[in-house]
Amino acid sequence: MIANGTNQTQDRLALQSRLSEIAQVPAWTEDLASRYAIPGDVQFAMDLCLEEVLSNIIRHGYAGAQDRPVIVNFTKLREGYFVIVVDDEAPYFNPLDAPELPMVSPAEQSRIGGQGIRLVRQFANTLDYESTPTGNRLRIGFSAAGPQVQPK
Amino acid sequence: MAMVIEELEGGITKVTLDGKLDIAGAAAVDMKMNVIAGSRKAVLVDLQQVSFLGSMGLRSLVAPARAIKGRGGKMVLFGPNELVEKVLKTSGTDTLIPVHHELQSALAALQ
Repeated sequence: MIANGTNQTQDRLALQSRLSEIAQVPAWTEDLASRYAIPGDVQFAMDLCLEEVLSNIIRHGYAGAQDRPVIVNFTKLREGYFVIVVDDEAPYFNPLDAPELPMVSPAEQSRIGGQGIRLVRQFANTLDYESTPTGNRLRIGFSAAGPQVQPK
Repeated sequence: MAMVIEELEGGITKVTLDGKLDIAGAAAVDMKMNVIAGSRKAVLVDLQQVSFLGSMGLRSLVAPARAIKGRGGKMVLFGPNELVEKVLKTSGTDTLIPVHHELQSALAALQ
């Protein structure tokens, strides 16, 4: 935990680009939840969004290359509002520009999978992307109350 | 993720999942779910004790459901909590695999 001189506090999780590393996330968010009074539904949303974002970075951004860094920072901005920032060094890619794939349907031909970005948009309150000098940064905001990001 | 399989009256197979259907949970149940999908025609998946569902977990439900449906069978989901159900609805999974909150209606849907 890092106290940054304001009322904000930060926590950091450093991962390597292996899917097995994502298993560290629930324990990390559980610890955050107990220390920062994060409601259960917000913790669920954090776990969901992080699973989707991290797996996409690892599988697609880093294309299977292992031992590349993924840094996750948590900040409690104010009571009931939390921000998670995910930084990577993968090729530039803005996931917010990616089109949502069709929803699961009874149609035989509809694909299985591809629901990650849709889920992130529904469960996060805010989503912001920026490219950094070394890669990508995705900022995900979670509110204990209020609407989620609307899909494009 | 723990998984318990029970054979109920009327040829219904009840699969009870307990834990998180995250990447690890999905990997833990995929093989058994595929076996069930290839051999059963009426499957009730009890989600009452599932505390988390991500997109990999969705695959672990959708793929067996499609396989069962393709063989002329049915699969239903029973008792997801509010957040798990939100994942099912957001993804459209509930249109493929009906969701029930009453056991009797879930069983009746498989008759």
